[in-house]
Amino acid sequence: MVDKIQKILVVDDERLNINVLVELLKPSYKMMAAINGQQAIKAANSNSPPDLILLDIMMPEMDGYEVCKQLKNDPKTKDIPIIFVTAMGQEESEAKGLDLGAADYLTKPISPAIVEARVKTQLALKQRHEELKSAYKIIEEQKKRMQNELDVGREIQLAMVPSIFPASHMYNIYASLEPAREVGGDFYDVFNIDEEHVCFCVGDVSGKGVPAALFMAMAKTLIKSRASNDPSTASIVTHVNDELSQDNEGCLFVTLFVCILNTLTGKVLTTNAGHNPPILRRANGVIELLKRLDGPVVAAIEGFAYKEGFVQLNKGDSLLLFTDGVTEADTAHGEFYGDPRLVSLFENTENRSPKQMVEQILSDVHEFEGQGRQADDITVMVLDYLGEMQSEQDKTISFQVTNALNEIEKVVDLFDEFATNNKVNQKVKSTISMALDDLLTNVVSYAYNDEQQHKIGVRISVVESSIVVVITDDGMPFNPFQMENPNTKASIEERDMGGLGIHLVKKMFDHVAYHRNIEKNVVTLVKQFTAK
Amino acid sequence: MSMETKKEQGVFVISPIGRLDTNTSPDAERLIVEAIDSGEKNVVMDYTSTEYISSAGLRVVLKTAKLLKPKGGVIVVCNGNEQITEVFEISGFSGMVASFNSLEEAVSSLN
Repeated sequence: MVDKIQKILVVDDERLNINVLVELLKPSYKMMAAINGQQAIKAANSNSPPDLILLDIMMPEMDGYEVCKQLKNDPKTKDIPIIFVTAMGQEESEAKGLDLGAADYLTKPISPAIVEARVKTQLALKQRHEELKSAYKIIEEQKKRMQNELDVGREIQLAMVPSIFPASHMYNIYASLEPAREVGGDFYDVFNIDEEHVCFCVGDVSGKGVPAALFMAMAKTLIKSRASNDPSTASIVTHVNDELSQDNEGCLFVTLFVCILNTLTGKVLTTNAGHNPPILRRANGVIELLKRLDGPVVAAIEGFAYKEGFVQLNKGDSLLLFTDGVTEADTAHGEFYGDPRLVSLFENTENRSPKQMVEQILSDVHEFEGQGRQADDITVMVLDYLGEMQSEQDKTISFQVTNALNEIEKVVDLFDEFATNNKVNQKVKSTISMALDDLLTNVVSYAYNDEQQHKIGVRISVVESSIVVVITDDGMPFNPFQMENPNTKASIEERDMGGLGIHLVKKMFDHVAYHRNIEKNVVTLVKQFTAK
Repeated sequence: MSMETKKEQGVFVISPIGRLDTNTSPDAERLIVEAIDSGEKNVVMDYTSTEYISSAGLRVVLKTAKLLKPKGGVIVVCNGNEQITEVFEISGFSGMVASFNSLEEAVSSLN
């Protein structure tokens, strides 16, 4: 704070009294004077207000009490300390003055030493008070800025996690994330890799605010893009770890549990990178903790090769993934929610959807913690496996061909064998062969505008009494099912072949779908069949 | 996969064996064009041994119909399986090309 000469206003209707005080204090302070209450108030409100007022009580028209009252009621002047100057034997007046907000009092006749001491004390107090006020203001601004940053971080976080979940008759999944007021960088994700595989993961980033949210966004994006063409959770996490370890100046890290479920077989690949163990509830009620650990937290050790394990899910099994915000939730008495409580809740609940389970866990945690105490983000994800275990080899074929027309023959040959093994009737077999020919011809002929060789993925599965065909290509984005239907009523002369193949596929299958999935066109066809 | 061709009561008959799709249709088309060039007025496509047809197979039928029309000739088909019959119906080809349950009926429709 800049040291400036402080100003003192002396208010008295007696010039003589003014002169005594002015003469006494002039060497150390800048002196101002007012001979009545109005003048005093005007001076206090001026552009150059006093730092201290010495105020006489007994004045005509407006006495010292009234002046004091008015100054203390005005926010602009209320912080100027006032020292009352009273005549000897007026203790009552002194009390009244102090009640009105005066800082101190002096009695006449004045003693120079006392005046100087009291004035000095009050001015020093005022200066401390101002310093505190500006420090408080800085703290408030900082706090507001930090809060803004936390809010932005939370917005990023909530915008990144999906609220709509893929579904299938083979599984049902639901997740929810409740951000804490202060700490937290939780996230989860669920997405289809292809018709058969779904990837789901839960993570917890160290730190908070925008840096943690951005780190989380990076982790999530890396997992998703890698999972699109990498079937190994170990390889995905190893890749994500290498990417996040680079330039990790903030030394942030993330715990991760990444899973890829084969929805047809129930086999789940898992990689646990420093995350708390998920809980598996078997259809018969038996609880298993997935304690396997495949490596350290992600972004800590560059080049670490993570491992993976697998869990076989059977019909009726349920898997619970969560972050430590659940088990480390605590009460005001420092008691933790803990694994056993979560296990018993998960264990005892029958006939409920993943959504109901997730909501029940969240409300139980909140009830346990008491109101408004959530210290860390809470994330809960539940997956119910609904399907029967099947032999993967018999029920699915999956292969890649290159973008050449003569490759289609191979595809139809492979499908022929598969159809025979699975007792697919002749009509359905012919229909699917036709679709493979028409769709692959389109891809080979129109999807690429370069001369490069490309891989086209074909996966054919028997799911219950349907055949599911998935064709994946990395050509230009193109949704064949959006094409206009051809005019099937045209005469021979007017008739052309445009769009006819797609039209046949659309009409002859029970379900057709297209989606663009990370640089790839994915076409899915479903055809019911009865084994011959 | 192969194509068989023959003359049945003076009518040109082509029988695709196996698949009639992107990879086999060019053969069928070539044989039909050759036959028309050498003076055939009508064509019978006999599907007795055809597993399935895709739109590439339909293309051959349409091309043949277009080539024969100015000459006053037609293409007819016969003995299609369930898939082939459905494809002709959905594509509207069944309204454009006559379809028969036997080769005899197909041939006699042209004589």
